[in-house]
Amino acid sequence: MDLDWVTEFLNELWGFTVQSLTDNVLLIVGSVKAIVIAVAVMSVVPALVWLERRLMGRFQVRLGPNRVGPFGFGQPMADTIKLLFKESIIQSSADKFLFHLAPAVVVFTAIVAFAVIPFGAPFEVFGQRIELWGANVNSGILFVFAISGMGIYGMVLAGLSSNNKYSLMGGLRSSAQMISYELTLGLSALSVIILTGSLSLIDMVEAQETVPFILIQPLAFLLFFIAGVAETNRAPFDLPEAEQELVAGFHTEYTGMKFAMFFMGEYINMVTMSALVTILFLGGWNSYGIPIWPIVAFAGKVLFLLCVFIWLRSTFPRIRYDRLMTFGWKVLLPLCLLNLLITGTIKVL
Amino acid sequence: MFDLATVFEFTRDTVILTVGITAVLASLGVILCSSPIYCALYLISHMICLALLFLLYNAEFLAVVQIIVYAGAVMILFLFIIALLGGRKEVQENSLERSIAFGLIFTLLGELYLSATVGPTKQIEGTINSEMFGTAKAIGLELFSKHIVAFELASAVLLVAAVGVICLAKFSFTPLKRR
Repeated sequence: MDLDWVTEFLNELWGFTVQSLTDNVLLIVGSVKAIVIAVAVMSVVPALVWLERRLMGRFQVRLGPNRVGPFGFGQPMADTIKLLFKESIIQSSADKFLFHLAPAVVVFTAIVAFAVIPFGAPFEVFGQRIELWGANVNSGILFVFAISGMGIYGMVLAGLSSNNKYSLMGGLRSSAQMISYELTLGLSALSVIILTGSLSLIDMVEAQETVPFILIQPLAFLLFFIAGVAETNRAPFDLPEAEQELVAGFHTEYTGMKFAMFFMGEYINMVTMSALVTILFLGGWNSYGIPIWPIVAFAGKVLFLLCVFIWLRSTFPRIRYDRLMTFGWKVLLPLCLLNLLITGTIKVL
Repeated sequence: MFDLATVFEFTRDTVILTVGITAVLASLGVILCSSPIYCALYLISHMICLALLFLLYNAEFLAVVQIIVYAGAVMILFLFIIALLGGRKEVQENSLERSIAFGLIFTLLGELYLSATVGPTKQIEGTINSEMFGTAKAIGLELFSKHIVAFELASAVLLVAAVGVICLAKFSFTPLKRR
């Protein structure tokens, strides 16, 4: 029997595989990075819930969850399993399609926004340059704003489709609040853009090699952080889900995993916002003389900012809705414009 | 063996075509859907498809701006208004208008087909800097050198419109007492 054609075919196949692998190495590396980032970002959520509950416990002079596993670390797992197996109830008056769509939009946009966040300096492995970011988009910061802006739709759609007054009011509040504070967010980031002259997040980190921008732009940092807290709907700006007024706001009617997906979106947004503040103002992965890995420096800064988020939640009472709007439009926005004017003038001179 | 370059060219064309067809279908949905919420959603998906098309043609900045301005800011206001007024389904009464609309659409499509097959397409004149193509810098340079007057005029018109809205809204209500 002549098996020549088989070996030839196998050879050809092998050649084709090797060829396509070497040709598509960028694609493969990109896909692996995308999967790693998505999985990491999603698995950070239970840890963050644990951190928040433990820290909140300490802030309020109580213990927090400490029964399940060491330091109560099994608690988020238990919660996740419970939420996964809960019955999903949809009331008959709801718009089914939008009701299902809303949590998906929230989680999707939250994860995608993380794609352009650079979390470490590039290094070389096997002659291949590995860059620790999902994608180097030229207008990276605009991309983050665009995608996180799309995240509002999740909340508005949840409010609209639930057919519940409280949900609707929560959705309305969230859209109004996020539109108002997005302006402050963008304008305070603009002063950093003026300083670096680039929209790429990587260029911004590289521009802060000697001095982090928080020392040059303290006001912009403060404004950005406040607007960031408002954008992520965290206390004291958690008007869309104010428990005392709106039951639970836009996610009143949600149960089980769909309810958990809103929380996932919120916590991922928190991580993204902390990462963004780190990149724009705290110097990203630069460690300023402290001998640690760049990625550790970045993670440490993000963790610190996350703790600040939780700290704010346990410190400040919720701000009233009309005051929230007044604060956004009459205090933060003029300050932003003033800061921008000064920064631009200095840059030109 | 396959030529990989042709394979990728083919996938790229397929993606572009798919996105384009989705955009057209979404815009049809805007017209034909009876529920205002879904109309707004179709419009949003149309905007996103347009942004994707920009992205596929390497116009990164335009794509992002398209999403921020149209899909992000304008459409959220649309949804806001729909939520405020209550998005009731409109009843479609007369089918005459509907058939006219369909006729118009098909006429347009026929026109498009004719112009695609018969009419010559013109080359774009002027030079394109391939290095800066699609970046914020290229658009900024263009906008603030050649079109500066039009740009500033547009900003003035927008400002007038904003002031006008505030005037109209403010004087038709009794001012709220500051708490």
